[in-house]
Amino acid sequence: MSTLENLSLAVEKGKRVDAKQLTQTLLDEGMKPLDIVEKGLVPGMSAIGEKFKNNEVFVPEMLIAARAMKEAMSLLDPLLAKAGITPKHTVVIGTVQGDLHDIGKNLVAMMLKGANFGIVDLGTNVPHEKFAAAVKEHNASVLALSALLTTTMPAMRGTVEVVRAAGLNDVKIMIGGAPITQDFATEIGADGYSSDAASAVDVALRLLGEVK
Amino acid sequence: MQQSIYLDLARSGHRAPIGTHLVLHTRKNADTLIFDGPLLGGVVVETADRFQTPLAIPLMDLTLEKAALLGALGVDPSGVDAFHFEQPPADPGSLKVTPRMQATCDAIHHVASKTSLVPIGMGIGPFSLMTKLVKDPITPVFLAGSGMSPEEEPEVGVIERCLEIGTELILSYLALQADAGAKAIIVCEPAANLVYFSPNQLDESFEIFDRYVMEPMRRIKSLLDQKGVDLIFHDCGELTNEMVSRFSTLDTAMMSLGCSRCLWDDAALVSKSTVLYGNLPTKRFYSPQLTVQEVESLSVELLDKMRATGHPFILGSECDVLSVPGSEEQILSKVNAFMNAGICNLQAC
Repeated sequence: MSTLENLSLAVEKGKRVDAKQLTQTLLDEGMKPLDIVEKGLVPGMSAIGEKFKNNEVFVPEMLIAARAMKEAMSLLDPLLAKAGITPKHTVVIGTVQGDLHDIGKNLVAMMLKGANFGIVDLGTNVPHEKFAAAVKEHNASVLALSALLTTTMPAMRGTVEVVRAAGLNDVKIMIGGAPITQDFATEIGADGYSSDAASAVDVALRLLGEVK
Repeated sequence: MQQSIYLDLARSGHRAPIGTHLVLHTRKNADTLIFDGPLLGGVVVETADRFQTPLAIPLMDLTLEKAALLGALGVDPSGVDAFHFEQPPADPGSLKVTPRMQATCDAIHHVASKTSLVPIGMGIGPFSLMTKLVKDPITPVFLAGSGMSPEEEPEVGVIERCLEIGTELILSYLALQADAGAKAIIVCEPAANLVYFSPNQLDESFEIFDRYVMEPMRRIKSLLDQKGVDLIFHDCGELTNEMVSRFSTLDTAMMSLGCSRCLWDDAALVSKSTVLYGNLPTKRFYSPQLTVQEVESLSVELLDKMRATGHPFILGSECDVLSVPGSEEQILSKVNAFMNAGICNLQAC
């Protein structure tokens, strides 16, 4: 196996020490940071995402993989920033107002980051206006909203309305969370719905016309 | 102990939702009422009356214990919801009863002293409380399950300390509810599920699940036994069969599971002395896409299949039936649908 393949495997298996060491090795060999991300880290996260979709692995394994990727990115992020390289698309993500749950939201953010999206994570209990301001500030391509409680789902509708009322008509809005359905997404005017974190990447790419 | 009550109710075809939130939010002063024990008790009684059940099921609010724990450690009340420990927390000392906890106990006392209903208490389980105390509980649980110690992975030390102090606080709070007159207590462990525990890891060993979930629950069961209070176990998370089998070893009076479970299959995993409760998909009752007819159909199917197993069963909700602003009528129509599904209307017959 090549070093890149070993790096992908280290991410997939959640071996953070190995992931960092292999990343350093690739940098030492002169590989460009963006190539390491796209050819080493992203395939590793993609592989674990596929296994998650197929119920071969579960949330803990996904988090461990993300942890390994984060370790590798700690070496790459400063170099990417120095070179002025930014992801093609930025996603603003958060849990809607009144809802403090963040596991699902974090998983989606992690998977999107693993697919090389730029992530602006606003956290939990986010007011409608804060979402709109962040979309504008970061010129986001996608706005991802999460809710775990049936009681906080109405806040999604409010956020969609505020974002659209602010004239932010180009941003694609996708929603998800335990009680959410495609019907609800359609009803409130969201562009997309994802039933799980791994599928969120596919949904985002589809909404942006970059079908995987 | 009231075990025969639940078994008798099951034999009689009883059904009931966990519906106090729904009734509470018909009151304009719901936000202040939860601080007033007798008034809150009145809502519990009204809920029992409305759904014609002798079970005085309280509000399923699982935020009280975290608020009490953090309050004792000096965290500002306004920051409690978003607060997470990054280091092992200090000793919070003995339980400092919050106004919400006091109101809950007073509501139990109200039910116990003013009615013939079965006064029931409520609390979060130790594992689920721990998951609210750290930002990412899943990774350290997995690491601990992989054999990592607190010395090797400090995150593991944080969750183990949170579990330790959380368990003590919960035991104190449940004892207070028992002393207030609760004859049964619902302990909710919704986080003990396959989001937090990888089935792949559990295939190799259940040690981490036993240590983090079952051992604290056994302490709770022991306390309640000493107090003569029945344990009603609730977990609406996604579970494996082995998890359900383990919960069954707690010898609970009732077990309430989420709609991801086939209760008629679980009947084989659970002792016949434990009444199975649930498990209609009440989290989706707000949605017009789930119709009243579908709820009726699901109810009849569940009743028929549970009857075939011969396992004691009470038809009900998979969790607290939450009041969703703007969807109250939609939700209530479905609660009414399952309360009446399959019951022969004398006039129609």
